[in-house]
Amino acid sequence: MTENRTVVLLLLLAAILPAFAGGQYVMHLLIMTFFYAMLSTSLNLIVGYVGELSLGHAAFFGLGAYASAVLSLEAGLPFFACLPVAGVVAGLAALLIGSITLRLEGHFFVLISLAFAEVLRYVVINSIDLLRGPLGYPNVPAPRLSLGGTVLADFSSKIHFYYLGLALLALTLLAAWRFARSSYGLGAIAVRENRRLARAVGIDPFRHALVAFVVGGALAGLAGSFYAHYLTFVGPEVLGFGFTLSALMMVVIGGRGTLLGPLLGAAVVGITLELLRSVNEARLSIFGILLVLAVIFLPDGLVSLAARWRRPTLEADQATAALDSPLRP
Amino acid sequence: MLLGDILQFALNGVVTGCFYALMALGLSLVFGLMNIVNFAHGALFVLGGMLASEATNRLGLPFWAAVPAVLLVMWAVGVAIEGGLLARMRDAHILPVTLVTIGLSTFLVNTMLMLFGTEPKNVETGFSGPPFFLGDVIISQSRVLAIGVSAVAILATWVLIAHTRAGRAMRAVFQQPEAAALAGIPIARVHRFTFALGTTLAGLAGILLGAVFVVHPNTAEPAAVKAFVVIILGGIGSLPGAVLGGLLLGLAESLWGGFVSTGYMDAVGFVLVIAILLFRPSGLLGAPAAREG
Repeated sequence: MTENRTVVLLLLLAAILPAFAGGQYVMHLLIMTFFYAMLSTSLNLIVGYVGELSLGHAAFFGLGAYASAVLSLEAGLPFFACLPVAGVVAGLAALLIGSITLRLEGHFFVLISLAFAEVLRYVVINSIDLLRGPLGYPNVPAPRLSLGGTVLADFSSKIHFYYLGLALLALTLLAAWRFARSSYGLGAIAVRENRRLARAVGIDPFRHALVAFVVGGALAGLAGSFYAHYLTFVGPEVLGFGFTLSALMMVVIGGRGTLLGPLLGAAVVGITLELLRSVNEARLSIFGILLVLAVIFLPDGLVSLAARWRRPTLEADQATAALDSPLRP
Repeated sequence: MLLGDILQFALNGVVTGCFYALMALGLSLVFGLMNIVNFAHGALFVLGGMLASEATNRLGLPFWAAVPAVLLVMWAVGVAIEGGLLARMRDAHILPVTLVTIGLSTFLVNTMLMLFGTEPKNVETGFSGPPFFLGDVIISQSRVLAIGVSAVAILATWVLIAHTRAGRAMRAVFQQPEAAALAGIPIARVHRFTFALGTTLAGLAGILLGAVFVVHPNTAEPAAVKAFVVIILGGIGSLPGAVLGGLLLGLAESLWGGFVSTGYMDAVGFVLVIAILLFRPSGLLGAPAAREG
C-alpha cells in the first residue's frame, strides 16, 4: 500500500532531519507537530474509523497528562513508568465513558461526550486540595533514560525530546495501523459505512465502537504524558475544548479515516498557524475561514488531493471509489 | 429571611433562564428541524449584544429603535450563513457540518474581538431608574424589561409556528421532509427561514443579556454549549421543552450557586444532561435519544 510506504518514508525522513536542521525553534515546532500528530491519530480512530464525532477527547488526553504529572511529582516515579500508567488510566476512563455514551444516537453522543469532558474539567478546577485546582502542576520533571547505571539521555536538550516524540508517534501509528487492520477496525468501518447492513451480518456496532474508543483514549493518554513532561506544566486547560478542537481540525483537514491524514493535518495546521503569526490579531479569524473553506471544498482532506492529482483512469477511478467510498452514511 | 433568599435567587434564576430559553428556542429550531449541531449559535448570540451595544452607545440610538434594527441585521446574517454555507451541506455527515459551524464561530468571535475590542460591553436601555421592591425581593427595571421582552418573543415565536402558513410549512418539513417536498413546500426556503429565525432569537437573547449584564466575545462558546444543555434537558425538537429547560437551568444554577457552591455552578447543566441522558433520554418533553438499531 502506497499510504503505508509514505508514512514510513516520512518517519525515516524525520529521523535523519536533525542532521540538517537543528535550531531550537525548529526543533520545538517539530516536537509539537509530533505531539499533535499523536493526539489527532488517536482521535482519528473514533472520528475517522468509527465515524462518531467525539468532542470530549481532551478528557483522555488531560487525564493522561495529570496522571503522569501527579505520579512523577507526588510518588517520584520515573517518566517511563508514568507513561504506561497514563495510557491505562485514560483507557479505563474511555471504557467507562464510552460504555455509557456510545449507546446514544450520533447527535446526542456529540453533546454528551463534550458534557463528560467539561464536568471533568470543573471537578479538577474545584479539587484544590487534591489536584491543586487552577494552580496545576509546574516543574514536571524531564524523563531520564539510563541503562545499568549509565545515563543514556537526560533530556536536557531538545534533540532527546525530538527522538522520544518521534518514537511515541511511530508507536501510535503502529497501534492505529494494527487496529485498522484488525477485525475490530474492519468491523468499525463496516458500521460507519452502513450500520444496518453491518448489524445484519452480525457485527455489534456498540462493541466495535467501544474498542476503538478505548484504544483511542489510551493513545491520547500517552500523548498527554509526553506533553506533561515536555512542557513541564499541567493545569486544568489540558482538559479544555481547545485541544479537542485542534486535533479535530487536523484530522479533517488531513483526511479522516486514513493513516497519513492526521500526520499531514498536524504538519499543515501547525505550519499555517506559525505563518499567520505575522498577522497576529487576525490570525484566528483567518484560521476560522480556512477551516470552513477546507471542509466545504476538500471534504476528504489533503490526502484526497494526491488521488485527484494522479488523475486515475476511469476504471481505476471506479475501483478507488468502491474501495475508499467517502465517509458519508 | 431564608424564604426571601430563596425568592431572590429564584428571581435571578428566572432572568438568566429567560436568556437560556430564548437561545435554546432558536437552537432547537435549527437542531430539531435542520439537524445541525450549530456551535456558532453562541457567537451569533454575542453578535446581537455587540451590535446593540454599538447602536445604543456609539450611534446613540434609543433602545426601542436599536432593537428592531439589530434584529433585522441578525436576520440578514442568518440568511447569509444558511445560503452561503449550510445550504451546500444539506445532506452531509454530521462531522463536516459541525466543523463548519465551529470554524464560523472561531471566525465570528475573533473578528468581534478585533472590531469591538476586548472590553465587556453593555447595552444602554434608558431603564436605569430605581429598582422595584417586592417584600424582601429586589428587581431592577432592566430585569423586568428582559423578562417582559423574552415573554413577548417566546409568545410571538409560538404564534408564528403554531398559527401561520410559514409555521405550518416548518412543522411539515420537520416531521416528514420527503412528503413535505412532494406536497410542494419549498424546502430550501423553509430551511433559510428557520435558520434566520434561530439567529434572530439568539441575537435578541444577546441584546437582553447586554441590557442586564454585559456581553463579551469569550462567552460565545460556553453560551452555545449551555444552549445545547438546555435543549437536551427539554427534549430535542420540543419548543415548549426548550423554554421550560431554559428556565429550569437558570433556576437550578442560581439556587445551586446561592446555596451550595459557586465553583460548580457552570457544571450543574452538564451533570443534569448526563443524568437526563442516562435516566430519561427523551428529555423532559421530547422524543427518544437511543438508537433504533
